[in-house]
Amino acid sequence: MSKKQSKATKQANMQRASERAAAIRAEHERKERRSRALVVAASVVAVLLVVVAIAWGLQQGGSGEGQTSNPPDNVVDEYALAIGADDAPVTVTVYEDLMCPYCGLFEQVSSQRLKEYAESGDVQVRYHVVSFLDGQSSDRYSTRAANAIGVVLDTAGPEAAVEFHDALFANQPEEGGSGLSDEQMIDLAVEAGADEEAIAGPIEDLKFEPWVEDATDAWSKAGFTGTPTVTVNDEKVEFESAEDLLANTEQAIEEALKN
Amino acid sequence: MGWIGFAARLLVGGVWIVAGALKLPDLDASVRAVRAYQLLPEAVVPAIGYALPVVEVAIGVMLVLGLLVRFNAVVSAVLFLAFVVGIASAWARGLQIDCGCFGGGGYDANATEKYPWEIARDLGLLFASLWLVRRPRTRWALDNRLVYDGTSERTMTGDPTR
Repeated sequence: MSKKQSKATKQANMQRASERAAAIRAEHERKERRSRALVVAASVVAVLLVVVAIAWGLQQGGSGEGQTSNPPDNVVDEYALAIGADDAPVTVTVYEDLMCPYCGLFEQVSSQRLKEYAESGDVQVRYHVVSFLDGQSSDRYSTRAANAIGVVLDTAGPEAAVEFHDALFANQPEEGGSGLSDEQMIDLAVEAGADEEAIAGPIEDLKFEPWVEDATDAWSKAGFTGTPTVTVNDEKVEFESAEDLLANTEQAIEEALKN
Repeated sequence: MGWIGFAARLLVGGVWIVAGALKLPDLDASVRAVRAYQLLPEAVVPAIGYALPVVEVAIGVMLVLGLLVRFNAVVSAVLFLAFVVGIASAWARGLQIDCGCFGGGGYDANATEKYPWEIARDLGLLFASLWLVRRPRTRWALDNRLVYDGTSERTMTGDPTR
């Protein structure tokens, strides 16, 4: 009897001891798990912070976000340099990037023809310059050239700006290398009729960079993904080649004039 | 099995790091690339465009380190699925856009020739991600120290011969 009882007691004691040990182990594990969770969470946060910091550091130039972009004087439709009468019945908008080779090709075939249209009074030609090809040159030529056009437009008016724009395309740099230097752009601008003292500072300091960013944003938000893009009275002109684009543009102009 | 998972982590994680890092220097371009798909409302396009490269590099780094492998593999699989759907839909709608997968984006005259290969690549990476969702315990992973209590993946898989 007593033997049996002592056996039961022993068993109970052992069980109690092992329960206590299990409780201690569980408590220990809980603490361990919590500290591991902390380490994991801290590591994840650290990875995210580092990536965000790198992203922040990599952003080229001052982002125009939240900054009021002051457009150049003489600008038309917020972002364009224009030739031809403001009350012309047809509006042709040419979206282009100074670094885009196809835009250079289109300029070669279309520049003269579009000027004639503008002079006839039937058409206002608007050049809406964007900069999304900064990666194609070693010195952000897209943005620098678009800014320079804004500077010439601001200080010397639309005729000089369009002439400067033509000169930039005539001297378009190859993809992958460096763009025209600030000095080269200033020389071309002076030839186009701008005043060297008035333009040198703003060209070097990228005065209109926020405006250039907004101009690029507006082009993208209008649903366009490439350059050159041409619209006639806000209708996009489809094309297969540069010659094609001019022919289809002329056709769209003639049709618009008939209506 | 742990070796296959390790290789999958390096492959998928490596691709994410490269894809994200190429986009980080020009986040505005990333926003435009997202917009070019014409799938998302303009209200969310900038947020997605800015966040995507950061998220890509982050999950890439964590996959390579082997940190929270299952969670990151799920995110990775969801993203690849979204990309496959996006590219397929751009193709179906006749859009000619660069997928913007590794930076870039926007109009691309040769886009139609590239779509099938891009979809195949993303499906392969989707499969590798799903493998890691199924079997997140791999060799040389921080998870083995932090999440799985220091036990190696061999004992964790419960192989009775060990």
